[in-house]
Amino acid sequence: MFGAVGVLLLMAVSFGVGNIVLTHLLGPSRKGEVKGTVYESGMNPIGSARRRFNVRFYIVAMTFLLFDVEIVFFYPWAATFTKLGGPEGDGLAGMFLVRMLFFLLTSVIAFTYAWRKGVFRYD
Amino acid sequence: MPTIADKLAGLWPEIVMLLGAVACLAAGLSASARTRRLTPWIAGGTMALAWIFALWTGIDADHPLGLGGVVTYVKCLVLVLGLVLLLVCAGVPEGLKQTAAAEGARFDPGLSVRGEFYFFFLLSITGVMLTAGATDLVWLFLALELTSLPTYVMIAMTRDRTVAHESAVKYFFLGALSAAMFLYGFALIYGATGFTEFGPIRDAVAVSSETGLSDPSPLMLMGIVLSVLGLCFKVAAVPMHVYTADVYQGAATPVTAFLAVVPKVAGFAALIMVLHLLGLDRLPEPVLYLLGAIGVLTMTVGNVLAFVQTNLKRVMAYSSVANSGYMMLGLMAGLGVPGNALGNGPAAVLFFLLAYGFGSIGAFAVIAALAAQRSPDGADHTDATGVADDLEYDDLAGLWWRSPVLGGVMLVSMLTLVGMPPLSGFMGKFFLIGGVLNAGFYGLVIVLVINSAISAGYYLRIAMLTFFGESSSAPAVILPEGRRGPRVVGAVIAGIAGLLIGGLPGNSVVRNAREAFEPVPAPASAEPETVQAAADESTASAPAVARSQAAGLADAVPTP
Amino acid sequence: MTPTLIPWIPALAAATIGLISLFRSEWNRFAGALCAGAIGLSFVLTLWLSSSVGSGVVESGFYDWISFGSGDNAFHAGFSWFIDPLTVVMLLVITGIGGLIAVYAHGYMKGDPGYWRFFAYVALFIFAMTTLVMADNLLLLFLGWEGVGLCSYLLIGYYYEKPKAVAAAKKAFIVNRVGDFGFLLGIFLCYQHYGTLQISTMLEGARETLAAVAHGHGAVTATDVWIPFLLMVGAFGKSAQLPLYMWLPDAMAGPTPVSALVHAATMVTAGVYLIARCLPLFELSPYALPTVATVGAVTALFAATIALVSNDLKGVFAYSTVSQLGYMFLGVGCLSTDGAVFHLVTHAFFKALLFLTAGSVMHALAGQLNIQTMGGLRHKMPVTCWLMFAGCLALAGVPLTAGFFSKDLILGDALAYAVDHGSVLFFALTFLGVVTAFLTAFYTFRLWFTVFMGEEKFEMGDEHHAADDHAGDHADEADAAHDDHAHDAPHEMPWSMNGPLVVLAAGALLAGLVLHFTGGIEHAVQHSTAAVFVDAAHSQHAGDPAGDHGGEHHAYFLGVDAHVFMQVLSSILAVAGVVLAAFVFWMKREIADKAAARFDKLIRFARHEYCINEICDAAVVLPLRRLGALFYAVDRLIINSVMDLMGGLPRWLGMGVRPAQNGRIQSYGLTMVLGVALLAVLVLVATGG
Repeated sequence: MFGAVGVLLLMAVSFGVGNIVLTHLLGPSRKGEVKGTVYESGMNPIGSARRRFNVRFYIVAMTFLLFDVEIVFFYPWAATFTKLGGPEGDGLAGMFLVRMLFFLLTSVIAFTYAWRKGVFRYD
Repeated sequence: MPTIADKLAGLWPEIVMLLGAVACLAAGLSASARTRRLTPWIAGGTMALAWIFALWTGIDADHPLGLGGVVTYVKCLVLVLGLVLLLVCAGVPEGLKQTAAAEGARFDPGLSVRGEFYFFFLLSITGVMLTAGATDLVWLFLALELTSLPTYVMIAMTRDRTVAHESAVKYFFLGALSAAMFLYGFALIYGATGFTEFGPIRDAVAVSSETGLSDPSPLMLMGIVLSVLGLCFKVAAVPMHVYTADVYQGAATPVTAFLAVVPKVAGFAALIMVLHLLGLDRLPEPVLYLLGAIGVLTMTVGNVLAFVQTNLKRVMAYSSVANSGYMMLGLMAGLGVPGNALGNGPAAVLFFLLAYGFGSIGAFAVIAALAAQRSPDGADHTDATGVADDLEYDDLAGLWWRSPVLGGVMLVSMLTLVGMPPLSGFMGKFFLIGGVLNAGFYGLVIVLVINSAISAGYYLRIAMLTFFGESSSAPAVILPEGRRGPRVVGAVIAGIAGLLIGGLPGNSVVRNAREAFEPVPAPASAEPETVQAAADESTASAPAVARSQAAGLADAVPTP
Repeated sequence: MTPTLIPWIPALAAATIGLISLFRSEWNRFAGALCAGAIGLSFVLTLWLSSSVGSGVVESGFYDWISFGSGDNAFHAGFSWFIDPLTVVMLLVITGIGGLIAVYAHGYMKGDPGYWRFFAYVALFIFAMTTLVMADNLLLLFLGWEGVGLCSYLLIGYYYEKPKAVAAAKKAFIVNRVGDFGFLLGIFLCYQHYGTLQISTMLEGARETLAAVAHGHGAVTATDVWIPFLLMVGAFGKSAQLPLYMWLPDAMAGPTPVSALVHAATMVTAGVYLIARCLPLFELSPYALPTVATVGAVTALFAATIALVSNDLKGVFAYSTVSQLGYMFLGVGCLSTDGAVFHLVTHAFFKALLFLTAGSVMHALAGQLNIQTMGGLRHKMPVTCWLMFAGCLALAGVPLTAGFFSKDLILGDALAYAVDHGSVLFFALTFLGVVTAFLTAFYTFRLWFTVFMGEEKFEMGDEHHAADDHAGDHADEADAAHDDHAHDAPHEMPWSMNGPLVVLAAGALLAGLVLHFTGGIEHAVQHSTAAVFVDAAHSQHAGDPAGDHGGEHHAYFLGVDAHVFMQVLSSILAVAGVVLAAFVFWMKREIADKAAARFDKLIRFARHEYCINEICDAAVVLPLRRLGALFYAVDRLIINSVMDLMGGLPRWLGMGVRPAQNGRIQSYGLTMVLGVALLAVLVLVATGG
C-alpha cells in the first residue's frame, strides 16, 4: 500500500536532484555579483527597505495570484462534479453548477474592475 | 436540515445589497459623468430595497438559537441607520482632490474612488446584516471581517491627508489582532464542543441542575471569554478601545460617524449571538464577572477621557466608548419576564443602539457640516473636502445663533446622549437600567448612573456652547451648499428621529426589540433538549411577530 | 374635532407668530391680526359648539396624553375635553372678550418693539385658558392653570427693562406658586382618594358619598374634608383672595390690555371656575364653603376700602377686581353658583371696559396714572369719558346695568341662604357684601368724577408710550389726533380702538338685563356638573325635598322675598354712593380735601394696604430668607466642596489615563493584549472561586 507512495517520493526526489545536477552540467557557468544576490522577486535586496518602488509590479502580481488561486479552486470542483450528478450523488449538480458560475461571476467582476481601473496597462 | 435554497431564501436582503454594491462599483467607473453622479442614489436605493426585502422575508422561525427576531431587527436597524449615514457620507468621495483630478477633461478611472467608496459602504453594511444572520462560527467570523475590512479602506481613501492613512493602518493592524483573538476563541469553542454550528454548540453546553445556570467546560468558557474580548474591538470596549480616539480623529468626519455606528451594531449583534450560545438568561458567573468588569471599565474610561478632551471628534470617540460600556451591562441583565420590555437587558441594548446611533450620527453630521477657521496653517489641516474639520469646543461657540438648524440638532443629539427624559436616549437608558436593576446588579446601576452624570459634564458643555459660548477666535463656519452635500438633511433626520423615538414611536420600537427575543427560552433548569424544543415550538408564531415588528419599525423610523 | 380646535387654533397662532419673528421678522406687524383672527375663529367655533352642547354634555378626546399601567392600576390623563354649559359660558367669555381685547391691543401696542411678543403671549394665554376650562381631568386642568400662570408672568414682565415690572412678575409667579402648591397637593389627594383624576368620575363619587351621608349611612372621611381646603388654596392664589391677593395690584405693571384680559376678565376667575366645577367636593366638607364665603366677603370689603383711597388709576380697578372676585367667592360659598358665574360674565364685560378705557387715558397722558393730577378730561376725550361712565355704572351696580343684576343675585342668594339656614355667619357676610356694594359705588364714581369732571387739568407722564417715536408709522391712518403726543396734550383714541370698547360697553349696560330675563346663566349653570348637585344640596339643606327645583328661592327676609329686598336695598345704596361721590368729588371738592386732611393717617395706612405686605414680609419672607441664608452657607461650605471634589475626580482620572493614549500602535497592541490577559485571569479566578 505504501509502495506507491514510496515510488512517488522517489520520483519527486530524483526529479528535483536530477534537474539541479543537469543544469549544473549543461548550463553555462557565469557567476556575478548581481546573480549571487538573494532573489526578491525582482527587487534589489540591498539598501534601505524604505525606498519607493513601482507599485505596478505588485498589482500585477496580486491580480495574477487572484486568478491563479481561483483556478486551484476549480480543480476539486471539476473532479467531483460528475459524481454529484451521478446515481450516488444527491442530485445537486444543478445547484453546484450555479454556485460555481456565481463564483466565476465574482471573478469576472473583479477582472472587469481591474481592467477598467487600468491595472493591465503597464506603462 | 435546511437546504441551500432555504438558506438563500433568508438572505435576499444581503443578495440585493451585494448586487447593489457591484452596481455602485460599475456606476462609479462609468464613462458617462451623469451615471457616475448617480452612484450615491444607487446606494440609497439599494438599501431601501434591501429594507423592503428584509421586512418581506420576515423572521426565520428555524433560527438555531431562537433569535430569528433579533436577526430581522438588526438588519432593519442597520439599514435605517445606514440610510441616514449615507446622507451624511454622500459627497465625501466627490469632494476629494483625487476625484477632482480624475474628473478632469478626460475621466481617469484609475484615480476615481467614488464607486469604491459606496461599494465599500454597502459591503460593510452587508457585513453587519450577515453577522446578525450568522448561524455558524465560520460564517460569523467571515461576516465580521466583511464588516471591518471595507472600513479600513474607507478611512484611508476619504481624506487627502497622511493622518487618515495612519488611522487606517492602525485600525487595520489592531483590527487584525482582535480578529485573531476572537478567531482563537471560536477555535476553542469548536475544540470544546466539536461543532461550528450554533445549534449543536448550544446543545452541547451543560446546564447546572443546581444553579440553573450554564456550566460550560473550562475550554468552552475560555473560548467564550476570548470571543467576547475580541469582539470588544468592534464595539470599542475596554481593553480593545485604545484605537478609538486616534482612528475617529484621523478619519473624515462622515466616515467617523460610520465607524461610530456600523461596527458597533455588528459587534453587539455578534456578542448577543455568542453569549446566547450559553443562554443569555443563564450566563455562568465568570462570564457575568467579565461583562461587568468590561462594562464598568469601559464606561468609566470612556467618560473620564472624554471629560478632559477638547477636540470634538475625540470627545465623541470616547463617548462612543462609554456608550458601549452601558450596553455591556445590558447584556448581562438576562431576558426578564416574557412580554415585559422592562427587564429584558439585550432588548434594551437593541433599542439603545438605535437611540445612540441617531444621537451620534446627529452630532457627527453637525461637525461634518462645519469647517474650522482656527487653524489656517495649510493643507495638513484640511480634509477631503478641503476644509479643516478637526473641531475644538470653541468652534461650536454660539452655533445656534448662526444656524438654528445645526445648533438645534446638536442640542437634541447631546441631550439624547445624556439621556434627557423626553428624548430617545432617556428611553434607552431607562430600559437598560431597568434591566440591570431587575437582574439585581444594584452596584452596577449606581456606577452607571454616576457615569451618566460624568457624561453630562461634557455633553452639556457642548450643548451650552452652541447657545451661550463665546469663542476667543473665529468660530467654525458652515460649509457652503456644494461642499457639505446632504449632511444637514442627515443631521436633521437624525435629530428628529432622536426626538421622536423618545416618544410614542419609541414604544413600538421597544416592543419590537422585546419581541425580537421572544420566544424566550424555557426555564433554565430544563434539559438542553427541552430548551431547544420549547424554543422551536414557540418560534412557530414568528411570522406574525415578524409582520407586526416590521410594521412597527416602519412606523417608528422616518425614512429619508 | 371642534372642541379640539378651540384651544389649538390660538396655540397655532402663537407658534406661527414665534416662527415669523425668527425667520420673517418683516412680517411681525401681522402678529396682532393673526392673534385676533385666531381668537375670533375660536369664538365662532365656541358659538357653533354651544349650539351642539345645548343643555347637555359633550365629551371629546384629542389624544391620550399620559397612559400607563393596566387593569386597576391604570392611570390615564387624556388631552380630552368635557364641555357642559358652564364650560361654554366660560369659553364665550374667554374667546369673546379676549378677541375684543386683542383688537384693542392691536392699536394700543402699535409701534411697541415687542409687538409680536405680546401677541404670541396673548394667543398662548388663550390656549392655556381654554384648555383650563375644557379639561376633563384635573391634571390637564392643572396644565392650563400653570399655562395661564406662565403667560401671566410673561405678560406682567412684558416691559422687562422696567425693574418694577420684573419685580411684579416675580411676585405674581411666586405668590401663585404658593397657591399652586396647595392645588397640586389637592390633586394628589384626589388621585389617592378617587383613584382617578377624571373630574366627572370624582364628582360622581363625591355625590354618592354625600347621598350616603344624607341617608345616614357612610361617613365623610378626613380626606374628603381636606381635599376642598387644598383646592381652595389654589383657587385663592389664582383669584387673588386674602391672604394671597397681593400680587394682583402689582400685576398692573403689565400692558393695560393684559390687565383687562388676564387680570380682570379671565385668568383671575379660574379660581371661581374651579370651585364651581368641583362644588360637590367642597360640599363634602362642612366647613369648606363657609370658609370660601367668608374669605370672599372679607376680601371684598378689604379691597374696596383700599380702592377707596388709592390714587392710582389702574390700582383702583385692580383693587376693585379683587373686591368683585370676593363677591364671586361669596356667591359660590353660599351655593349660588349661578350668581357667581353670572357676576363673572358681567364683571368680565365691565371690568375689561374699565381697564381698557383707563388704558386709553393712560395712553393719552403718556403713562400718567395718578388721578390727583387729572381732571375734567371729558372735553379732551369725550368718547373715552362716556365709555368709562358706562363701565362705572355697571361696576357701581346702578339699577338695570349688568353689575346690578349679577351682584344682587349673589347678595340675594346669600341672604336667602342665611335665612334658610338661620346662619348668623351668612347674615354677617351678607351685611359685609352690602357695605361693599355701597363702597363700590362710591369709589368708582370718585375716580370717574375726579378724572373727567371738574376743571380741566393734566400732567403728562414721563414715559411716552411708544407711539410718539413711531408716530410716523401710522400717521396715514387718517388719525391726526393720534400724533398729539408731540403737543403734550391728551387726545381721543382712534375708532379702531374704541370700536371694541363700544361692544364691551353695550355688554356692560345690557348683558345683565338680557341674561337676567332670559335666565341664560341660571339655565347654563343648572345644567352643568356643578348645579345638578346644587339643587340636591339645597333640598337637603332645607330639609325640603320638594322645594327649590326651578331656581326661585322662597326665602323671606323681614317679610319680603330676599331677592327683591336685596335689589331694592342695593339700588338705594348704589345710587346713594354715586350721588355722594358726585357731591364730594365734583360739586364740593373741598370737602374731600378736608376729609383727606383729617383722616390722613388712616388713608395712608389704607393706601399702604394696611401694611399687609410688611406683615407678610416679616412673617413669611424674612424667616424664609434667613433659612435660605443658612442653607446657602451649608451648600457653599459643605456640599459645594464635596461636589467640587467629585467634579474634579473624573478630570484627575482622565488626566491619569490619558498618557496611555499616546498614538503609538505598538503600545496600543500591548495594552490590548495585556487587557485581554488581565480579564482572562479575572475570569479564571472567578471560575476558581
